[in-house]
Amino acid sequence: MVPCIQASDVTLTFRPKDREAVTAINGLTLEVARGEFVSIVGPSGCGKSTFLNVLLGLLKPDKGEIQLNGKRISGPGEERAMVFQEFGLLPWRTVLANVELGLELKGVAADTRRKRARGLIELVGLTAFENHYPHELSGGMKQRVGLARALVTEPEVLLMDEPFAALDAQTRDLMQTELLQIWDRAKKTVIFVTHSIEEAAYLSDRVVIMSARPGKVKEVLRIGLPRPREYEMRLSPGFNEIKSRIWSTLKEELVTRIGGDGAQR
Amino acid sequence: MRALANFYREREPAILGGGFILSLILAWQSVPSLVSLPQGISLFFTTPVEVIKAFHQLVVQNQIQSHFYVSAVEFIVGLALAILVGLPLGLVMGRSKILDAMLDPFVTAFNATPRLIFLPLLILWFGIGIWSKITIVFVGAVFPLLINTYEGVKNVDRVLVNVVRSFGANEWQTMKTVVLPNSVPYIVVGLRLAIGRALLGVVVGEFFAASRGLGYMIANAATNYKVDVVFVGVTIFMGLSLILTYFVKKLESRLSRWRPETAKNF
Repeated sequence: MVPCIQASDVTLTFRPKDREAVTAINGLTLEVARGEFVSIVGPSGCGKSTFLNVLLGLLKPDKGEIQLNGKRISGPGEERAMVFQEFGLLPWRTVLANVELGLELKGVAADTRRKRARGLIELVGLTAFENHYPHELSGGMKQRVGLARALVTEPEVLLMDEPFAALDAQTRDLMQTELLQIWDRAKKTVIFVTHSIEEAAYLSDRVVIMSARPGKVKEVLRIGLPRPREYEMRLSPGFNEIKSRIWSTLKEELVTRIGGDGAQR
Repeated sequence: MRALANFYREREPAILGGGFILSLILAWQSVPSLVSLPQGISLFFTTPVEVIKAFHQLVVQNQIQSHFYVSAVEFIVGLALAILVGLPLGLVMGRSKILDAMLDPFVTAFNATPRLIFLPLLILWFGIGIWSKITIVFVGAVFPLLINTYEGVKNVDRVLVNVVRSFGANEWQTMKTVVLPNSVPYIVVGLRLAIGRALLGVVVGEFFAASRGLGYMIANAATNYKVDVVFVGVTIFMGLSLILTYFVKKLESRLSRWRPETAKNF
């Protein structure tokens, strides 16, 4: 079976005008199956977000390629949608208009897109707030809008760039649970970038640990926890063992990064 | 008594502000009856009542209307042209590196120069009719609009651009959904500046060389020592400026409904 996502030898170097070139990712190879939930963890600056942007089609790799269902990714496409770290909501649009955005850009008729958007707003539990502006919402509500907006075009692959990093701990726990429920129902393939080892372990089928910059896959860990995941699993000894395995692999990279990167920061 | 106190408390700023202006006008009106002005001064002196009389007479003679019409046409046409040119040009200069590099020296040079410098030249080219005034209004108003729009475009949030691009938006859609709405507060500031420059253009243009218009009316009255007519002109300009400022504020609050209260007064 063709994997849903197949990244082979992806390499990308940023060449800013008046600074030294930085190779963000170097020879990244990864396969993701359809319907799989894969998290990516790694030291800051290891190219996790860069990889997501290549997947999204906003950045083009210098070398290598990513295939989606056997077809090379060359630009944005409706099979993929991103949930952004700082929500990325258009502040001058209401919740409804923000969720409609993707359909509007595709030229879907107004009443059709309104109906679809309302359905997703209901799914994330914000029906009472559809006419509110983003600044009137809490962080958790904003990211629910971000999620609804990404889902509105019915993408096959959901890319999430530290989506819960800006939320407080309790809201974060809640959103994780809700995300798993939506994922379970909608059967999406999810690539989830995070800094939190616990979050990665709790949500994922597999956790990809990246090396320090220039980033590539250092290790892939299959999480054997049963589905559906329950909050209580986080308290089990097995869960702690998974966390410590991720941590020990990651630690080597953090040390490398701090040692080799001091001059650049 | 209680009702009166409440009435005052609710409208304190309006009563104090209005009352102060009113007492100044009364004081001004009573100057000639309190002191006898020497002839050299009384020739250039007038009172509010005389200004009102002069205004009434000018209205009856249909003079104000015809001068006002000319100035209004110069102002509106010049400003409209400035918006039609400055806004799109600011948008494309902000988005296109090539156009930015090409036009930037030109824009910077013109913006740094007081544009009234071009007035003699424009009058040579376009004559003393309305077209020289329309052009001077245009060159005055176009740069603040262009530059502020450009700034707005340059300050666009990169993340938001990526959001719409990730949905496959083309350049035109990106402009419409992110770049333009993001620039609106900047454009409104530009408009406010542009209105000031446009009024200045009308007045100075008409002072300099004209045969119609409110600026011409003021300059002409001053030459003939008709101080009351000068005051009529000045009052009209004050009133117009107040009305225009009010409309820009209205526009601003209408366009910024989506913004948090704290960010609105910038």
